[in-house]
This record gives sequence, C-alpha cells and structure tokens, in this order.
Amino acid sequence: MRTPRKDCFHRIEPLLGKVEKPSRYLNHEWGAWEEQEGPFHACLIYPDVYEVGQPNLGLSILYEELNEQEGFSCERAYLPWVDMIGLMRERNIPLLSLETSSPVASFDLVGITLAHELVCTNVVETLDLAGITLLAEERDEDEPFVVAGGPSAWNCEPLAPMFDAVQLGDGERSLVAMSRCIRDGRAKGLSRSQILERLAGLAGVYVPSLYDVVVDKTSTRWGYAVPKKGSGAPEVVLKHCVPDLSSTNPVAQHIVPYMGVVQDRFAVEVLRGCARGCRFCQAGMTYRPVRERPASQVIPAVEEGLEASGFDECSLTSLSTTDHSECELIVRTLKGKLSERGVRVSIPSQRLDSFGVEMASLVGSSRKTGLTFAPEAGSQRLRDVINKNVTEDDLMRAARNAFRNGYRRMKLYFMMGLPTEQDEDLLGIPRLAEQVIKVGREELGPRAKVSVSLSVAVFVPKCHTPFQWAGQLPLAEVQRRQQLMLHAASDRALRITYHGSWPSLIEGVLSKMGRSGFDLVLAAWKRGCRFDAWADQFDFPAWQEAAAEVGIDLEDVACEQFDLQARLPWDHTSPGVSKGYLQREWRRAMQAEVTHDCTMDTCTGCGVCPNLGVANVVVGDRT
Amino acid sequence: MSSLPPNACRMRVRYIKDGRLAYLGHLEVMETVMRSIRRAHLPFEVSNGFAHRMRIQFSQALPVGAASRGEYYDLLLAEPLDVQEALGLLRESTPASIAPQEARLLPRRVPALEAWVGLSCWSVDVVAPGVDAATFDQKLEDVRERGAIEYMRGQKPKRIELARTLVSCKAKDTDQGTRLLLQTRSTERGSLRPAILVNAVCGCTPLRVCRDAQWHEEPDDTLVDPMQITLGANPERSE
Repeated sequence: MRTPRKDCFHRIEPLLGKVEKPSRYLNHEWGAWEEQEGPFHACLIYPDVYEVGQPNLGLSILYEELNEQEGFSCERAYLPWVDMIGLMRERNIPLLSLETSSPVASFDLVGITLAHELVCTNVVETLDLAGITLLAEERDEDEPFVVAGGPSAWNCEPLAPMFDAVQLGDGERSLVAMSRCIRDGRAKGLSRSQILERLAGLAGVYVPSLYDVVVDKTSTRWGYAVPKKGSGAPEVVLKHCVPDLSSTNPVAQHIVPYMGVVQDRFAVEVLRGCARGCRFCQAGMTYRPVRERPASQVIPAVEEGLEASGFDECSLTSLSTTDHSECELIVRTLKGKLSERGVRVSIPSQRLDSFGVEMASLVGSSRKTGLTFAPEAGSQRLRDVINKNVTEDDLMRAARNAFRNGYRRMKLYFMMGLPTEQDEDLLGIPRLAEQVIKVGREELGPRAKVSVSLSVAVFVPKCHTPFQWAGQLPLAEVQRRQQLMLHAASDRALRITYHGSWPSLIEGVLSKMGRSGFDLVLAAWKRGCRFDAWADQFDFPAWQEAAAEVGIDLEDVACEQFDLQARLPWDHTSPGVSKGYLQREWRRAMQAEVTHDCTMDTCTGCGVCPNLGVANVVVGDRT
Repeated sequence: MSSLPPNACRMRVRYIKDGRLAYLGHLEVMETVMRSIRRAHLPFEVSNGFAHRMRIQFSQALPVGAASRGEYYDLLLAEPLDVQEALGLLRESTPASIAPQEARLLPRRVPALEAWVGLSCWSVDVVAPGVDAATFDQKLEDVRERGAIEYMRGQKPKRIELARTLVSCKAKDTDQGTRLLLQTRSTERGSLRPAILVNAVCGCTPLRVCRDAQWHEEPDDTLVDPMQITLGANPERSE
C-alpha cells in the first residue's frame, strides 16, 4: 500500500538544531509553490544536498512546467547531508519532500536528476531512505513511478534496474506527457506494467524493464539492449527535442534560496545546444541542435526574473553563451540597465578569442580578478584531434587582450589521457602556460604579479561522443604523466592542480558499463559509498572491494577500448546524432582532421536535424 | 508623504525572526533581507566599491535556532520615501517569518547599529531532568563564581567572561520546565550566547531561545530603544 501523504515536518524539526546547515531542510523559500493539492503529485529529486541541487536550472524548468498544469503539483527533495541521514535513519524518518514535508514514497511520480556518473550511489541512498523498493521490477502496483533524466541519463544502464522509465532529451514537455500518461493509466485502473508499456510509446521515454540485455560476439562484454518480444518498445529511443527554445518559458527560476547555494544567482537559458563539435564533449553531442533564445526575449526575462526574485546577479546560461549571435547586444543592454542597481551579469564560459575577453571585460567588475579558458590540450596536433578549434595564437591573443584589459590571473583547463596523446603533447601544457605568463610580463612589466593556474582533469570517454570507443588512462600512467608535467613546470607563477584520478576512474567505469554495472553500484553503496563526488566522502578502497565482490577489475573496465563496429550498451538510445557520424569523427580524429561548426558553415552531417525533424535556430549572424 | 527630517535618507527597520526560519544563520538572514528590499523596489544606495553592494547595516548576529522579536537593520536610501508605504512594500516582499514590524526614517549619520545596540533580553526555555528554577539559580552561582565559561566552537576553544557579558538572569518554573529571563551585553571581547550559558549551567541545550528585545545602553545606564533614538544626540558616526 502506498505510504500515506501527510506533513511530517514535526519529525525533522527537533533535528534541525543538531545538524550542519539546518537551512537545507526548511522549505518556505520565496517563490516556491505553496498550493500542492494535486491530485497528481510529483516529486523531483536532485540526489545531492540542497545547495548543490537547488540551482539546477533543468530541475527548475521541470518544476515550473509541472506546477503550471491543471491538476498537477510538483515538489522538490534533495538528499540530506550525512549527519541528517544518520539522525533520520535512527528515528525511522523517511526522505521527505520540501514543500509539504510529505514522504517521498507517497508521491505518484518520483523524478531523479542524473547530473553526472558519480551520483550513482546517492540514487540508491535516496530510494532507500525514501523507503521505495529499490528494483523497479519488484515495486508494488501502488508504489510511485520512479523516472530519471538529465545530462547523465545517456548511459543510465548501470542504474537502469532502479528506474521505471528514463526520460531522454528535453524534459519540459516530455515529463508532463509522462505524468499525464501515469495519471490517466491509474484513473483507468491499468496495471503498472500496462502503464509502463504506454510510457514506452511516448517520444523520448525509455522503459528499461521492456528490454533484454544480450551479450554476443557483435557486442562488448556489457552487451546491448533489445526490446522484449511483444513489448512494443522501440528498438532505438530517440530523444525528445523542443524545436524552438523561444516557445519555452524564459523565466524558469522563481525560488530564492535562503542559504548560499553553488550558483547563487538568477539564470536565464539563452541558448541550448552547441555545434562546435569537440569530440570529447557529451553535452555538445546530446543537446543538438543549436537553439538560440532571441535577445528580445532574454532581456525582458532577465529584468522580470530579477524583479521577482531580488537576486543581485544574473547568469546568461548555456553551453557556450559567447557563441550566441546576439551575445553582445544582450550583454551591453543588460549591463546598461542593471549596473546602476548594483546587479552583476555573468557568463558561465568564455570563448577563447578576443571576443570572449571583450565580453568577460564587459560583464566583469572594475576589479579584474581572473579569466578562465579551456584550451583542453597542450599541442596543436592534439587540439585538432579533439576538434578544439583554437590555435596557440588564439590563446596568446586572448591572453594579451586580457592582460591589457587589466587581468593578472588566468586559469586554464586541460585534460590528460586524450586519444593519441604523447608525452610531447603533455609537455606542451606547461610550455603553453609559461608562454601565457611571458605574454603577461610583456604587457604588464617584468616584475608584474602575473599568475596562471592549470587545472588538469583525466579524460573520461563518454557515450554518444566520437571518443566513446576510447579507453581511459590507467592509474599508474595518470600518475606518471602528472609527474612529467610537474617536473616540466619551472616558473613560480605557474600552479598546477589535478583532478583526483580515483574518482575519474570510477566515473570511467560507470560510463563504460552496461546494466550489470548496477551490481557494482549496489555493492559499493552497501559498503557505505555515497556522496562520491565529495572528495572528503569518496572511499576508493570501498569501491575496490565492491569491484572484487562482483568480479571485475576497475582499471580493466575503464581502460578497455571498444571495437568501432561493436554494439554498445547505449545503442538503444539516441540523441539524434548518428553512429555513422560518430565513427567518421573518430576516424577524422585519428587523422587530426578538424570538423567545423555547422552554425557558422555548412552542414557536417551529424544526423540530428533529419533524425529529429529539427534545425538550428540562430537568430542573427554567427562569426 | 510624511514629514521627514531634512536630511533623512536612512531607514531603520525592526523585524522578527521566528518559526522554522529561526534556523537561518545571520548571513542567510542578511541575504534574504537584501533580496526582499530589492523585490520591494526601495531606492537603496549602492556602494562605490568594485562590487556595488547595497548599503545596509544589521544589528548583532542572532544564533542559529534562536527566534527574535527585535532585530534591526538600517538601509541607506538614495532618496527619501514615505516610510509607511515602504514598510508595506517590504512586508509584501519578505517571508512572513522575518517580516518587518516597524520602520522609521533617521538622519543619515547615526551610530552604526552593530556597535551601538549592545544589550539583549532573552527568554529561554530549559527542560532538563532535575533542574528547576531554584537549582538553576544555585548552579548559575557556581558558574558565576568561576568568572568565565570555556567552551569549544567547532575546533576552536573559546572563553567568555561573565562579569560584563551576563547582566542578569531570572529563572522561574513553568509547566514544562524552567524559563529564564536573561540579559546579556556584547563587549569587544565577545557576547554570551544563551545556549552557552545553559550548557555551562545544566549541561543541556535549551528547548527554545528568543531574543525579546535589544537596547542601547547610555553611559548612565539608561536604556534606549533603537527605534526611539534621539536624533543627533550621539557623537559617534557610522560613515
């Protein structure tokens, strides 16, 4: 029987004085929906703490969309921090929603955002704390439908046994359709399995239980998924795509948190999709096509959102905001309207050219702190391999421009372990950074306090990218290459930081594995793994023990290179980009041949437009 | 428009903090108040520094978990306004649990709130086995005789002298336990938090803490309500 819906705040209130940051659990924020009558109740969960999950724009969009529908109410929940989880478990208090403090298990639909691979054990923790049966196939008729979505849903196989359905692509229309399907199915008295079959008929909805995993000689050891006979499920689930971003509500974020959250500002999505074609970038492939929101919609949306929320900063959010054809118009107009009111404008990423620096200078305050660029690789050859269409000259011009504009600090993002990488490519990273320092000293004087920070991450091959077949770097090789770079850096103005190689290895394992990866996730969770993305909580020995228990070697899994023709564990889902295009891009990468951006040149044949029946929407001219 | 002092461009607001929002930290309250002011479209001044921040001053921090009937902030205004209208706008734009209660225009140059308002009156409910008003008083005397309370704040050892910071404490029995009516004074060397005192006296955390009022103490021990400050009486300046 379904857990009864009732307000349980009185059960956690006595705990608030005993935990860190009690404001995580308070609700009643400005802008939160108060009327939650339903009768259809959905709860959207970001499986991490409030301050990480609350600023997620995707979740805000879905929350608003569902709440605006007649007869639907949507609440939020986040995973409590470990101190609160401990106290709740001691007292048998289940996971509660924020708005009405109702048990999450009492909802009709529970939606979980998969923001990255390392959230996997938190998903298990979330469902377990909520008291929802972990395996979808064992759930009672009356239990909530547990659905997942988000950027990391593209290889959801290692988590798939927990989900009744997975939403692929743009969720704002799709989640409403899924909710209606469940509501109507329940009203007609359909069984859970009948409702699942109906869900599988919706665009962009993948129902894992309707697929068998087959391992044969055409596949990798993780197999591939095929629809069960008679299920009616599609062989390949194409993502759902909103063709025109301007048809969506630009003011999606209404909730003003009390506590400081990781992105504490009002955000407007100015652009969805990116066609630059970086071969390592999953978002660049899965969010296509490019859809710009016109300046005529962005500017009033920012003003309206700021007035309603009271934020003193707005973010123009997208994968590549400075690529927006009306970026300069938007930034200059907003700057003119808002700076007198003490409101800052921010852009999440800078293009590596003088326009990027110009926009950064425009949005930045009069105190120039630092600029961040992502050349990603240390040599021109390797940048061509990954299709990062920037040259060393671009970087030096951007750096010179930045130093002339008063910046003194620069942060550069790189990856190690990219396909075809050699030591000379790696040694190019500190060399490039020292070149930037030299440019800084030329511009600001030999004694000027110029500094460059390098942040070097381990490359993790992701599904639905041209590099999905690549293997990851073994741990020992990561360490050798880290030392190589450290010893090559001589200038004191240069600082190098590395992402942890162990969490990257787990990320790689979960990116590679098929449905049997769930055994690993479960074994790790049973050993206490959760909050794996938090450095102080990540427990690598526990993961190693879990791997031993399920009979796999973590490095062996992550470092395996797949055959280009093999059927992959995620081939039954598609963001619209064709596998043929990805194979072609892999081959071009091996030849260090670049592929241009189709919003600035001709079609590159990725397949998204014909497969999804959509097209790039660029409101002005891109240069 | 109400009659305004000739150079009025500072608005003092008294607000409450109660319900579940008692668990907000001071920085969270400050941020929430500032966002409420922006939503109310009041003509606040911004600083000339690089960050262009709202010019606002708050009274002393309230501990997380403590409610209050008398918290204050001073907002510097770019232009005078009708204070009742402004109060109405603020109420509409602020969560009810930290709603503004009254507002008054003051001259621009008055003493900074945080340093000027130093005396706090608290009501504190304590429920501890074997502790009634008489035993509390007795144990409090023992603590007073030691002269100071030493405690840990996170990883840091702290020490608070009682002679200056604990002004008075009256305990009385209630149906549920013991109610303390406490007066504390903040000094340059620290402030006494009610929970620290209760813990030192009877080894428990209070059930409920509420700051009932805050006052300014004149040198002759006269208490001044922050909303009733005599204009131009004090030589200290906040700017």
